[in-house]
Amino acid sequence: MIRKAIALVPADARQPLPAHLGAIGVYSIAQAAAYVVLVPLLEAFLGRDWAAASIWLAVMAGTVAVAAVGSYLQSMLGLRIGVGMLRGVSIRLGDHLSTLPLGWFAGRDSASVARVVVGEVREVLGVFARLLAILIAGIAVPLGIAVGLLFVDWRLSVAMFLGLPVMALVNILAGRSYRSVDDRMHQSAAEANARVLEFAVAQPALRAFGGVGNGTRALDTALVKQQRAAKALTAAAIPGLAAFTLVVQLVFLALVYLVVSRATSGEISAASAIALIVVTARFIDPLTQLGQVGTAVRTSAAAVDRVHGLLEAEELHDPESDVRPADNSITFDNVGFCYQAGTRVIRNQSLVVPAGTTTAIVGPSGSGKTTMLRLVARFYDVDTGVIRIGGQDVRDMSLETLMAQISPVFQDVYLFNQTIEENIRIGRPDATDAEVREAARIAAVDEIVERLPDGWSTVVGERGANVSGGERQRISIARALLKNAPIVLLDEATSSLDPHNEAVVVRGLRELTEGKTVVVVAHKLSTVAHADQILVVEDGQIVDRGTHNELIGREGRYAQFCRQRDRARGWRLTAAAG
Amino acid sequence: MMAQNSRSAEVTAEARPSAASAQVGASPQLEAPARLEAPPQLEAPSGGWALSPPSAAPPPDRVALKQQARRDKTAARQLLAPVNRSISLAGLLVAVAAVCGVVSFLLIVEVCRRLLRVPVDTGTVTGLVVAAFLVLALRGLLQVTGLVWAHQIDAGFQLSLRRQLAAKLSRVPLGWFTERSSVQVKRLLSDDVEALHYLVAHSRLEYVNATVTPLVTIVYLFVVDWRLTLVLLVPVIGYLFTLSTLTSPAHNARLGLFSRGEQVVESTTVEFVDGISVVRAFGQTRKAHKGFQDAVGQYADALNAWKLPMTRTQSMAEILLAPVFVALVVTAAAVGMGAIGWVEPTDLVPFLLVGIGLGASLIGLAYGAQALREGSSAAGRLRALQSLPELATPAKRDEDGREAAAPGRGHVQFRDVGFGYHEGQPVLRNVDVELAPGTVTALVGPSGSGKSTMARLLARFYDVTDGAILIDGRDIRAWSLEELYRTVGFVLQEVHLIRGTVADNLRLARPSATPAELEDAARTAQIHDRITALPRGYDSEIGVDAILSGGEAQRLSVARTLLADSRVLVLDEATAYADPEAEAAVQDALASLIADRTVLVIAHRLHTITEVDQILVLSDGRIVERGDHPTLRQSGGLYQRLWQTNEEAMAMLAEPGTREELV
Repeated sequence: MIRKAIALVPADARQPLPAHLGAIGVYSIAQAAAYVVLVPLLEAFLGRDWAAASIWLAVMAGTVAVAAVGSYLQSMLGLRIGVGMLRGVSIRLGDHLSTLPLGWFAGRDSASVARVVVGEVREVLGVFARLLAILIAGIAVPLGIAVGLLFVDWRLSVAMFLGLPVMALVNILAGRSYRSVDDRMHQSAAEANARVLEFAVAQPALRAFGGVGNGTRALDTALVKQQRAAKALTAAAIPGLAAFTLVVQLVFLALVYLVVSRATSGEISAASAIALIVVTARFIDPLTQLGQVGTAVRTSAAAVDRVHGLLEAEELHDPESDVRPADNSITFDNVGFCYQAGTRVIRNQSLVVPAGTTTAIVGPSGSGKTTMLRLVARFYDVDTGVIRIGGQDVRDMSLETLMAQISPVFQDVYLFNQTIEENIRIGRPDATDAEVREAARIAAVDEIVERLPDGWSTVVGERGANVSGGERQRISIARALLKNAPIVLLDEATSSLDPHNEAVVVRGLRELTEGKTVVVVAHKLSTVAHADQILVVEDGQIVDRGTHNELIGREGRYAQFCRQRDRARGWRLTAAAG
Repeated sequence: MMAQNSRSAEVTAEARPSAASAQVGASPQLEAPARLEAPPQLEAPSGGWALSPPSAAPPPDRVALKQQARRDKTAARQLLAPVNRSISLAGLLVAVAAVCGVVSFLLIVEVCRRLLRVPVDTGTVTGLVVAAFLVLALRGLLQVTGLVWAHQIDAGFQLSLRRQLAAKLSRVPLGWFTERSSVQVKRLLSDDVEALHYLVAHSRLEYVNATVTPLVTIVYLFVVDWRLTLVLLVPVIGYLFTLSTLTSPAHNARLGLFSRGEQVVESTTVEFVDGISVVRAFGQTRKAHKGFQDAVGQYADALNAWKLPMTRTQSMAEILLAPVFVALVVTAAAVGMGAIGWVEPTDLVPFLLVGIGLGASLIGLAYGAQALREGSSAAGRLRALQSLPELATPAKRDEDGREAAAPGRGHVQFRDVGFGYHEGQPVLRNVDVELAPGTVTALVGPSGSGKSTMARLLARFYDVTDGAILIDGRDIRAWSLEELYRTVGFVLQEVHLIRGTVADNLRLARPSATPAELEDAARTAQIHDRITALPRGYDSEIGVDAILSGGEAQRLSVARTLLADSRVLVLDEATAYADPEAEAAVQDALASLIADRTVLVIAHRLHTITEVDQILVLSDGRIVERGDHPTLRQSGGLYQRLWQTNEEAMAMLAEPGTREELV
C-alpha cells in the first residue's frame, strides 16, 4: 500500500520524501530512546538518588526534544508531500480522463468518478499526512525499545523480540478471518440495494397491482439476508478480535511476569524491575495502536487502488503524426467489434458511404446500429478491420482532426448547466452572435427562447432539466448546424415527440444534412425512403443493402419494416373488437 | 458553518496519531469492511436533495444550520428510541470493561509496591500478576461482547427500520416517487440507514469508554497523589488551549475557501465526465481540461493555505499530548517534588502506567465526530421521511365501505376538482367531468396545461386539494389502496418490470393466475410468441435470460394490466410509440387492452384520438372545451387550432418524398 501510495506522488513533489521518512525515523528512535532512558532514571529516582535522577532527566529531556522536533518536521513534510501528491495526481487524473475512449465513460456515473478525483485522492493525502507516521512509528518504537533494552536487560529484550512475531501473526489471522466474510457482506448489501432501487422504480407497478405487500416480499427477503450477513460478519469477527485482545495482554503480562520473577529471585533490583515494567507498557502501547488503525489502513489501501485503477484505465491511443482525410467518404473494411461482455457485436461489416450521400441503417433494437455510429466517432476502437474517412484510418488521425469532420447528433443530448446560447456556441466557440442566432433560428430554438423567463440567458439547469426532450434535441441540432462539419452522424430519436416538435426537428435536420455525408440510424420511413443507400442490420451483420426501391421489392426484413411503419403511422386509438 | 464544523472535527481526529491510549491491551475494533468510511470523509455539506451543489451556492445561514443540527440530534434520539435500552446495556458492559482496565493497572502498581518491600512475598506478587491478567482478560471479553452485541442490535435495528420505512413508502403518494430519482430513495433506505450504524454500534460505546476511563483514572490518581495529578493535567490544558486558536475567523475563512475549491473540483469533474461526448465531439477537450486544471490548482492552493497553519499549530499541540512528553513532565515534577519530600517515589509508577495517555483517550471522543454528524443528519432525513403525509385511507372498512366495494362498472366522476403541487399555484381548477363506463376519454392541451396531472389524480399519485374524484359514486380517498389499485390500472410511458421471472411479473397483477391465464393475457398483448422463444419461456428471468426491448417490455406490461383486469384505465398515448421497432405490435396490444373499460388517455398526437368518445381540452388547468372530434375541429376554439398545427406537422412529415427531404 505504501509503495503504491508513494508511486502516486509526482517526481517534483517527491524530493522531501527522504527527509519525511527520516523525520519519522528520528521521531520513533528518539521516543524509544526516551523510554529506555526511563529505566536508569526510575532506578535512580526510586533509589532516591536525586543527582543521578536529574542527570538522566536531562538526558530524557534531550531525547524528547529530538522526538518533538522529529514529530513536528514529519507533520509538516508529510503535508507538503501530501499536497504535492494531491495536486499532481488530480492533474494526472484530469489528463488521463481526457484521453480515455468515450466508451469508458458509458458504463460509469460521473459522481463515482468525481468521488475518486476528490474523495479518494484526499484519502491518499491522509496516508502522508498521518497514516505513514503511525504505521512506521507503531513498528519502530517497540523495536527501538527492544533493541535499547538489549543494553539494559537482554533477557527482557529477547522476550520482546519473541513476542513481536506472535502478535503480528495473530493480527494477520484476525484480519484474514474478517475479510473472508467481507465478500458475503458486499454481496448481500448489493442485492439489497438492487432490491431497494427496484422497490422505488417499480413502485407504480407494485401499487397498480395491489401488490404492495406482495411486491415488497423480494425486498424483504433481501433485507433479511443482509441482516444475516451483518450478523455473520460480527460473529465471524469474534474469534479474531478476542484472540488478538487476549494475546496482546498475555504477552504484556508474560513480560511483566518475567521481570517480576527476576526481581523476586534477586537477579535485578526492585527499582529496575519497576522501571522495566513501565517500559514494557510503553513497548506494548504502539502495537495496540497499530491494531486500531487497521480499518484506516484498509480504507486508504482501497483508495490508493481505486486511484491507480483510474489512472491505469486504457487510453485511446493518439497517433504521433496526424493524417488528413482526402474527402468525406466513410468506409468500413471487415469491421468487428464487441463490448467487454461480448453480448452485442459488430461482425465483418464492410460498407462504403460515398462523400455527399446518405446511408440509412435500419434493423431491430440491439442489432448494433448505434454502435456503428459510435465506432466512426471513435467512442470505441474497432477490434478487427478498419474504418476509414477519406481513405485514412480513423485511428491515424488525431482526435481533433477526426472530430472536425464530424457533427454527431445522438440520442442522449447533454446540455451544460449554462445558458442556451452558451450551449449552442459549444458547436463553434468562435462563431459570431449572428451565426449562433441563425443556427438557433433554423433549429427553431428561438421559439423555445421566447417561452423562457430570461430568454437567451436562461440557464438550462443541471443536464438541461428546464427544457423538454424535444427542445433538447433542437438545441443539439443547433449545435451541429453551427459546427457545420462535412459528416453528419445521426441517431434518430426513438422517444416519441408530438407532431409539432417532430416537424421542427425534421426541418432542422434537413438543413443540417444538406450536402453532407450522412449516416443515419433511422426509425422513420421518410428518413429511410430517400437515402441513397439502406443497410439492413441484424445481429451485428449487414444482411441486406440497396435503395428503397430495390429493397422493397425483395419482400425481406425491409419490406416488413416499411409495412409496420406505415401501419403504425395511421394508428387510431380504438378498442379492439370483442 | 456545518462544513467548518466537520473540518474542525477532522482537526482533532488527525491529531490522534501520536497520542497513545492510556490502556495496554487492544481495544478491539469491530468494523464491517463494507462500511469503511472512516476516517472522516469530507463531503460537501448536503442536507437536502440536491445531487451536486452548484458552484455558486450561497453561504449557508449559520443560525439555520445550527437549528438543523439540533433537529437532527433530536431526530437521532427519537429514531434510536427502540434500541436505546439495549445499547445502554451494551454501554454498561463497556463501562465495566473500562473500570477493569484501570483496575488491572492498579494491581500491577501493587505488584511494584510489593517488590520494594523486603523480603518480597513471591506468592502474593505472582498472584497479583495472575489477577491482573484475569482482570485484563475480563476487560477484553467485556469489550468484545459489548461491541459484538451492539453490532447485533444494529443489524436487527437496520432490518426493522428498513422494513418500517419500506412500509411507510408504500403509503405515501406515488407522486413522491416520481419527484425523486430512484437513487435518492436508495440513499434513504440504504445509505442513510447505514449511516446510523455509527450511532447505534459505536458512538455510545466510544463515549462511555472515553469518559469512564479518564474519570476513573483521574480519581484513582488523585487518591495516589493530587499534586502530580494536577501536573499531569497541565499538558492537556495546554493542548486544548493551543487548539482553540484554530477557530479564528481567519482560519474559518481559509476553510471556507477550501471547501468551495473542493466543490468546484467536484462539479467540474461531474460536468467533464457527463459532457465528455459533447466536449470531445466539438473539440472542447482542451478548454474543459483547462477549466479542470484551474479548479485543481485553486483547490490545492486553498488546501495548502488552510492546512499549513493548521498543521503547524496542530503538530505542536500534539507534542504536548504525546505520552513521551507527558512522561517527561510528570517524571520531572516527581523528581522535583521527591527531592523536597512531597512525593513518595513509588507513587510515580501509576502515573507512568496509566496517566500519560490520559489526554489521548479524550481525543477518542472527537474522533467519531464526523461519523456522528453524518449519522445525525441521516437520522434527520429519515425522521422527515417517517413524518411524510400518507395517503389518507379509511382506518377500518365500515359497513358502507364493504357494500360500496362490490364491483361497480367503473363510473368515474371528477367533481369540481382542484389541485396544485404547491400552495397558491393551482395546476387544475374546477374540473367537472364524467367518464362513462366503457368509454374512452382523451385529454388534450398544450404542454403544461395539466393533462398528466389530471390523469395522475385518478390513479391517486396525489390527492386532490379541492373537490373529489368518485368511482362508482364513492370518493377514491375512501377506498383502501388495494381496492383502488385493483380498480384503477395505468399504463404509462415508463415500464416497470421487477427482477424475477416473466411469470412473476405477470402474476404481480393476479397472484392466483393459472399458466393458461398468463398465456391468454400474453397472447392478447402479442407477446406470447416472444416469451416462448426465450430460453426458459415464462420462467426466464428479466434481465438475465429475458432481455426485452422497450416495445416488448411495454407489451408485457400490457399483458400484466390485462390480467389485473381493472375497470378503470389511465393510459399515456405516447406508450404506443415507445419502441419504433414494435409500434404496430404495441398499438394492437393497447387496442385489446382498452376494450370494455373506462379509459382516460393523455394524448399528444391528436390524430390518434379522433375516434374516442369524448375529448377534454385543457388549458391552464381548466377544461375549456369538450366534445367529440368532428364537433371540436370545427368549433373555432383551442382544439381547432391544435388540430391545425398537428395537421400541418403531419403533412410536413408525410410529405411525399422528393430528394430534398433528407439530402
